[in-house]
Amino acid sequence: MLTCWNPRKARRIERRLAPLKIACLVLLTANFTGAGQIYLPKPPPEPPDYGKVILRADCTPAGKAVVFDHWLHRSKFTCRVCHVDVGFAMQANGTGIRAQSNREGFHCGACHDGSRVFEGKALFAAACSEEKSGQECDRCHSAGKKDARKYEYKEFTAKFPKGVYGVDWEVAENSGAIKPADFVEGISVRKAEMKGREDFGMKKEFSFVTPVGFSHQKHTVWNGCELCHPEIFPTAKKETVQYSMLLNIEGRYCGACHGKVAFPLNNCHKCHEGAPLWAAS
Amino acid sequence: MRWARAIVMALILCGGLAWLQCGQVVGQTNSNTSTSLGAAGDERWQKEFDELCSRTQDAMSYSQEQLAALVQRCDALMPQLEKLDETRKKVYLKRLKTCRGLYAYVLESKKSEKN
Repeated sequence: MLTCWNPRKARRIERRLAPLKIACLVLLTANFTGAGQIYLPKPPPEPPDYGKVILRADCTPAGKAVVFDHWLHRSKFTCRVCHVDVGFAMQANGTGIRAQSNREGFHCGACHDGSRVFEGKALFAAACSEEKSGQECDRCHSAGKKDARKYEYKEFTAKFPKGVYGVDWEVAENSGAIKPADFVEGISVRKAEMKGREDFGMKKEFSFVTPVGFSHQKHTVWNGCELCHPEIFPTAKKETVQYSMLLNIEGRYCGACHGKVAFPLNNCHKCHEGAPLWAAS
Repeated sequence: MRWARAIVMALILCGGLAWLQCGQVVGQTNSNTSTSLGAAGDERWQKEFDELCSRTQDAMSYSQEQLAALVQRCDALMPQLEKLDETRKKVYLKRLKTCRGLYAYVLESKKSEKN
């Protein structure tokens, strides 16, 4: 059957398709804006909450999640002690900590065993059970509880040098304000002193940023080698991995620490010399 | 005669009880032995574990052959760690995998440098 062009019919179809066209336009715009939002690091939480790790929101019997203050522990120990020697995963809830494993002297219980003395004080035991509940459990299972915790960020860090986003940990260590321990008796394996690794520059991808000067030296002091390689940076073959801010923001590569517990990704100038702060407030 | 029978019965009972107790003691002794054997085994794997993971700082200074040997030793230790109780298995396997991973990583980087 032959059909001929009918302008009236075409206009009618066009009118019917108009809402679909508008919907597509709205979706495209939203998608573009969304991508922009994902690409740019969001401003970090306030310093006391930055690096606060909530563990086991589903925990029993207390039903109270553990609030782990990363800032408190990092002032006392290098990253390597906890994430290599004790064996804590780099992601919250990735370790599988249980009251049982603490009681057996692993995970939190590796140090918090009720008898280990650190800085002249005996560390409380992280060994709660159904029979034993109350204030001792609240030291860790403190989500939603006021005054349950011994240390508060503001008081604890009052004398530490500050950067744009809270404590500047690098300056704090260099100035002697903190002396993170790199060896814990009975947990750490005795090792030879770390030989400094060479710093290196990374090629820039865009003209509007300065290239990254990566300090291997700084990172190995806190992390050793095995914390970053191969789990976070899995290959040594040059130019096989395309590092990008997008991947960092997703929590990969530098973003495994920066943006979670180490200085935030918004602090552009820390890596890209001369770069401005992005969304500091 | 009745007294004699009663005494014999009592003796048999006492003997039986003594045998049972003896069996228990032997059992305890055996379990102690197995525990001490376990402790000896513990010491062996722990020593090897410490030895392997104490070298990560120097990984870059090792030759490819040395690194390959370290990776092999890590692989050989893993089945022993698999036999540990749940918590120790979890903790020590993770730690050993971290050390092994580094040696394999450095080995790979050295190979790629050579090529």
